[in-house]
Amino acid sequence: MLGQLIASGIVVGGIYTLMALGMTVLFRSTTVVNFCHGEFFMVGAFAVLLTQSKLGWLMGASIVFALVLMYAIGALIERGLLRPLQNAPHISLTMMTVALSYLLKGLSRFFYGREVVPLPPILAGDPIEFFDIVLAPQDVLIVLFSLFVVLVAYWFFNYTRSGKVIQAASQTPRGAALVGINVPRLRNIMWGVGAMLGAMAGILIAPTTLVYPDMGGHVLIRAFAAMTLGGFGSLPGAVIGSMSLGVIENLLGGYVSSALVEIAAYLVIIAVLIVRPQGIMGEWRQGRG
Amino acid sequence: MSAPALNAFRHTAVAAIAAAALLTGSSATAADPGITADTIKLGMFAPMTGSMAVGSLTLLGATAIYKSVNDEGGINGRKIELVVEDDGCDPNKTIAAVKKLMSQDNVFMIHGGWCSGTALAAKPEFERAPGFPWMVLGAASAAVSKPTLPNVFQPIATTDTVAKAMVDFALSKANSKRIAIISHSDEWGKSHLEPLLANLKKAGIEPVETAYLERGSADATSQILRIRNAKPDFVLAVLYAPELTLYVRDAFKYNLKVPIVTTQGVSAEDMVKRVGNAAATSEMFVFYPLNSTLEAPGMQKWIDMFKKYNPGAPVETLSFLGSTGTLAVVEALKKAGPDLTRAKVIDELNKITNFNPGISSGSLTFTPEVHAGISTGKMVYMPTGEKPVIVDKYPAKP
Repeated sequence: MLGQLIASGIVVGGIYTLMALGMTVLFRSTTVVNFCHGEFFMVGAFAVLLTQSKLGWLMGASIVFALVLMYAIGALIERGLLRPLQNAPHISLTMMTVALSYLLKGLSRFFYGREVVPLPPILAGDPIEFFDIVLAPQDVLIVLFSLFVVLVAYWFFNYTRSGKVIQAASQTPRGAALVGINVPRLRNIMWGVGAMLGAMAGILIAPTTLVYPDMGGHVLIRAFAAMTLGGFGSLPGAVIGSMSLGVIENLLGGYVSSALVEIAAYLVIIAVLIVRPQGIMGEWRQGRG
Repeated sequence: MSAPALNAFRHTAVAAIAAAALLTGSSATAADPGITADTIKLGMFAPMTGSMAVGSLTLLGATAIYKSVNDEGGINGRKIELVVEDDGCDPNKTIAAVKKLMSQDNVFMIHGGWCSGTALAAKPEFERAPGFPWMVLGAASAAVSKPTLPNVFQPIATTDTVAKAMVDFALSKANSKRIAIISHSDEWGKSHLEPLLANLKKAGIEPVETAYLERGSADATSQILRIRNAKPDFVLAVLYAPELTLYVRDAFKYNLKVPIVTTQGVSAEDMVKRVGNAAATSEMFVFYPLNSTLEAPGMQKWIDMFKKYNPGAPVETLSFLGSTGTLAVVEALKKAGPDLTRAKVIDELNKITNFNPGISSGSLTFTPEVHAGISTGKMVYMPTGEKPVIVDKYPAKP
């Protein structure tokens, strides 16, 4: 039972990782906490569902379309709604993402409100058994894809010039602009990338949770808890926090009480903020430079 | 004026005032809001959007009947005018919707409430207006009609009825003693959980495991492993469709192949589609609120009516959950006569006895003391994933 609880915790932690990474990438590059990330998660899953069910597209084509669409949506949101607020207080940017969250959810309810529909897994097939651990092929894909994204993000931000420029631009936007860096352009790209990561998490988990307009809310809270635990803005922290949260939820549910699964994320947020507000990997920053 | 003349004047004045009061009173009663010479304004609310929007099917089933009544000439010369509000299965939205229907739209009566949480949130509004009739649409919590309010009628099998049927069914399996429960912990979950535990206790059984799975969960591993470790003979599931799908799929994956019996909050056909694995749902029994399967000849008339007024909408069990209540409203409005008042409608609803149009699992009876109208139900399952089969005990054979 212990092995299964940990393995399943890592799988669901993989989804939290993708969500938390998308939010962390945005936070690192724009210092905006994105409350509509759960809706990127949901819209991505809907895009795959609709292109498959209405247009008969193959899974691969649907996923590519969904990711391109989400990049465009993320970039458009930045250009049309957030860039005009770039000199406004943080709270204005945050409230804009809250408003967007309700707007996207409302729109999807309007068009698709009655349905709670399944999405076929990307990797179907019989469950894989390893000692007493059982995993579906899709579970393995989630973990592997999450690891891949983590490694790419880590490499990009730490070993490429562009990654370092983006971080520098987020820490001191005025200084970066003075040396000729196109800061708004970088933010625009990061919004697109963040939206793509959120969508990918939605596409991977939708075969398990089904697709419906409110599917993002639950995972968004987990991503916040994971970021808090790992340290806001830290890429390794987002991964460690997400995986830990997935495993903590399962161990509490399996060995103490299933009623604790729901509140584990909130307990983590409260405990971390009291004991170590900067989180495990601690990159605590204030202001936008 | 002499004393006798004064007395005569006083008597005349008193009689005139009394007559005026009576007249005023009767005209006020006759002019209950929402009634005109040719219309009866009826308010409805249900989740039309959100994850519980499947409840809109029940509302569409009810509106089809009202529209059909209108097409056949209406009720005592009046057509039914519907005002529909989306409650989103959200208690706050529901309270706002009910207040709007009562005070702004000035409807004559309300027929609505599909989610138990929202129906319970709306109940105090009707408690404050005891003369305002409310026919519940599909909310099953026994607390909606218990304690009885004079104006609140619940024409479906309540959670008390469902819970008893679930326990009886689980115990009808040979040597079934070890019962596990998996439930939401919200108001709806509790409204089933409490009568489930009470009925198990009556049978001398303590559940071997009670696990909670919350709305929106992405993983049910810990709950399933706890249940699997408890080695149950039967699992009683009180979950909405997305989480029941998650549970059924993962239980199959983790080799927890134990029969499941669940509530009327889901439909068997819909669950088979969502789970997408006929083997995983082959022993999933759903409380069945209807008299027969949708394929039965007796249902064709109602299916045709539903399709006529809601082209394109899916025809499922839930589409007919509120039909008997709707027909009861029509019956009471008819019997209340052309001088329609809310008091008369409430009075007629209280007289409905053994009302059975052949849709619900049992006949509908209201008395002034009991407003939970249907007290029987069966189970439906789809052993091969194709045809639904109705049974009243386990093991189920077609």
